[in-house]
Formats: sequence, C-alpha cells, structure tokens
Amino acid sequence: MLPSGLPDHVDDQENVSRFLTSSSQFNSTMVKPSAFLPNPIHRNASVFRIDNEPERLRKVWQETTSGERQLKGLAIVRVAEVRRVQLEILADEPPPAHANIEGWPWIESDPELQKARQKDLATQVASCAQLVLL
Amino acid sequence: MFVGYAAIQPFARRGTAVSSEAQDVRRAASAVVSSAERSESLFGERAELISQLWSLYEECSQQDWDGNDARPMSGVAAASVVEFIKVLPAGLSLPELAPEPDGAISLDWIVSKRRVFSISIGSSPRLAYSWLDGADSGHGVARFDGNAIPQRILEGIRSIVSHEHAAVRFA
Repeated sequence: MLPSGLPDHVDDQENVSRFLTSSSQFNSTMVKPSAFLPNPIHRNASVFRIDNEPERLRKVWQETTSGERQLKGLAIVRVAEVRRVQLEILADEPPPAHANIEGWPWIESDPELQKARQKDLATQVASCAQLVLL
Repeated sequence: MFVGYAAIQPFARRGTAVSSEAQDVRRAASAVVSSAERSESLFGERAELISQLWSLYEECSQQDWDGNDARPMSGVAAASVVEFIKVLPAGLSLPELAPEPDGAISLDWIVSKRRVFSISIGSSPRLAYSWLDGADSGHGVARFDGNAIPQRILEGIRSIVSHEHAAVRFA
C-alpha cells in the first residue's frame, strides 16, 4: 500500500488524468496526440490516479506546480488502453496518487524515428482519452 | 503585426552574446522573423494559421510550459513550420498546431478520434509522423527540404482527410 492509501499496482480498470495546460493540446473532437508524448528528460508522461474529479485535480495542480500557469483541461484515459499499446503505468509517489506512463521507445541513434514511434503510441492513447474542460 | 512575431524580433535583430548557443538562438530567431516577414504576403487561412503559430510560440517559449519540465518551443522549429505551411498544396485542409514537450511543434489533421495524421517539426529537417486510421496505425520519417512536402507525408495526409470533404478548408 502506498502512502496515499492506493495500491502499489495500478489496476487496468483505473482511470488516470493528465493535465492540459494549453488549449492547443485539444480540440472539439479529441485530446491531441502531443498531449500524451513523454517528457524528454524524465522519459515518461506524468498522470494522476484520480478519475474525473476536476476540483480535486485542480487542487493537486496548485499544490504541485509553481507559477501562475492555468490548467485548461484534463485528459482522462483508462489504464487498460495504455497497456493495450504496450506502454506501462507505474505508481510514483510522492505526490499522492502520482504515476507515470512508462515504456516509451528510445532510440539514441535516430531521434526522429524515436519520435515517430512515440507519436504512434501517443496517438493511439489519445484516441481513447476523454477530454474534460476546466 | 503578430504578437509573437513582435516578441521575437528583438532576439533576431540585436544582442552582443558571443557564445555559440546564443548565436544559434539569434540565427533561429532571424529565420523566424524572416519567415514571418515573407508570410505577410500570404492571405486567408494560412496567414491565420501562422498567426496562431506565433501566439503558440509566445505561450510555450518558456521552460516548463506544461508544468512538467517541458522544453521551450524551438524558434528553429517555428521557422520550419512556417516554411511547411507555405508549401502545402492548395486545396489541402490546413493542420492544427500543438506544442510538444521536447520543443517541437505538432501539425495535426484530425478527422475523428480514429482518423488522425500528425507530423512533428523540430530542429531537424527529418520529420517524424504517425497516423491512425480505424484499427490501423503507423509511423515514419521523411526529409523536408523547405521547398516541397515529402510525397509520403502528402499521401498520408490525403488518405486520412479524403473522407472529410465537408470539412475541407481551401487555402
């Protein structure tokens, strides 16, 4: 059991939320693929194991980020959909309920091919995501 | 004049920094400004899209724009996006733009959640792209020389948007 009270293993049936900070990360149809791409330093994509609870997530955002940047929306996706494309979601606390989408392809010798493979996976994940506007 | 364009002009036209990194930034900014100036001769939706690009550049030009340590949007990438937009064939629907966490810019043709074509333009002339068409997906890399859209990318976009007749926007 993690300090947050959540189990260590992120279950397939859980929904996770990713913060969207730019209105260009989504449109009226979907969350855009780029919203799920991994950070090149951390090599993962940060999510929270919190379902569609905008107020709670807004509070988490305020507590875990600095500056005056506003949260524009949430991308919510079922864990099973992430694992379906051979990515993994691993718990990573603190902060409470934090997790990362891991397992992204990294090809040091060919950064553009690496990016293309990452985009392929991000597009598939994004196609299953639900957009919540804030 | 575009707001983002105005913001980047000082980087392009003055400065005494002598480090190679600073010179690279100034060269990139000069390229963006030069592209922006040429784009003033463009009209309609392409000009609007380029205007959106500068706004996005301004919004995402700081480290950590996503609250998760994202790299600042690249000026070189922005200049390449302008070149790309300018050579898109007439009649082809225009993409939507989005920032990426490595400083690149995504150009997306989104017909539905299951019909998407996406290109990443960064600081390299080699462009990463991916597509989703129903249950099928794929990806590839193609070189953009600044003069013409790579054929594989053009065919991929057309394949995805081919059933989008009602939504096609003519430039």
